[in-house]
Amino acid sequence: MQFDKALQSLCDADVDFVVVGDHARSSTRRLVSALTPFHPRPRGLADLPFIWDEATLRNSTVLTLQTDIGEIDLLAEVAGLGSFEDVKRHSITLEAYERKVATLDLPGLIQAKRAAGREKDLSIIPELESLLESGRD
Amino acid sequence: MKTLDPLTPQQLARAEELLLNPPPGSRIEAARKYGIDLTLLVEQLRLTPAQRALKLQAATQAVDQIRGIARRRC
Repeated sequence: MQFDKALQSLCDADVDFVVVGDHARSSTRRLVSALTPFHPRPRGLADLPFIWDEATLRNSTVLTLQTDIGEIDLLAEVAGLGSFEDVKRHSITLEAYERKVATLDLPGLIQAKRAAGREKDLSIIPELESLLESGRD
Repeated sequence: MKTLDPLTPQQLARAEELLLNPPPGSRIEAARKYGIDLTLLVEQLRLTPAQRALKLQAATQAVDQIRGIARRRC
């Protein structure tokens, strides 16, 4: 996964998005434009007819994509947090790959992991809670 | 929106103390008992957010390369 290219492209296209762990979600037209050069297609469904446009994006709450720069998941909402606006309220800005990027804060990430409830999400919670308790948000 | 800045030396020292000598009954102590290597968290906290992002990318690309090699051998 080339996080740098993905995040730089989204930032440079002025896309409003929040990184959730290693997932991202954002507004439609700019997002379509930002990811088009990387040829998004449905992951694991190479033979399925697929058009990468605003309509596809608007009609999907979850899109799991394979792109030329790696796997990207787009989420309209996050379990445990709610809509994109709710997610933004739980976000924090950091500087990475020479851009300013919004990502979930620690309490929000813990809430989302707990709500997801999968083994791989639950097993990381003690580590995240330790970071939170050590004073780092 | 809040920003995530690198830790100050004082913040880092406090976090290290808590992570390496967790108070009894704390969540940090529970994590250590669960099997979390807390020294790895200290190592991460010593990095800036930008350095952590680069480290994540390097690790992910290494995993991708290993997956690629494994697929070619199957």
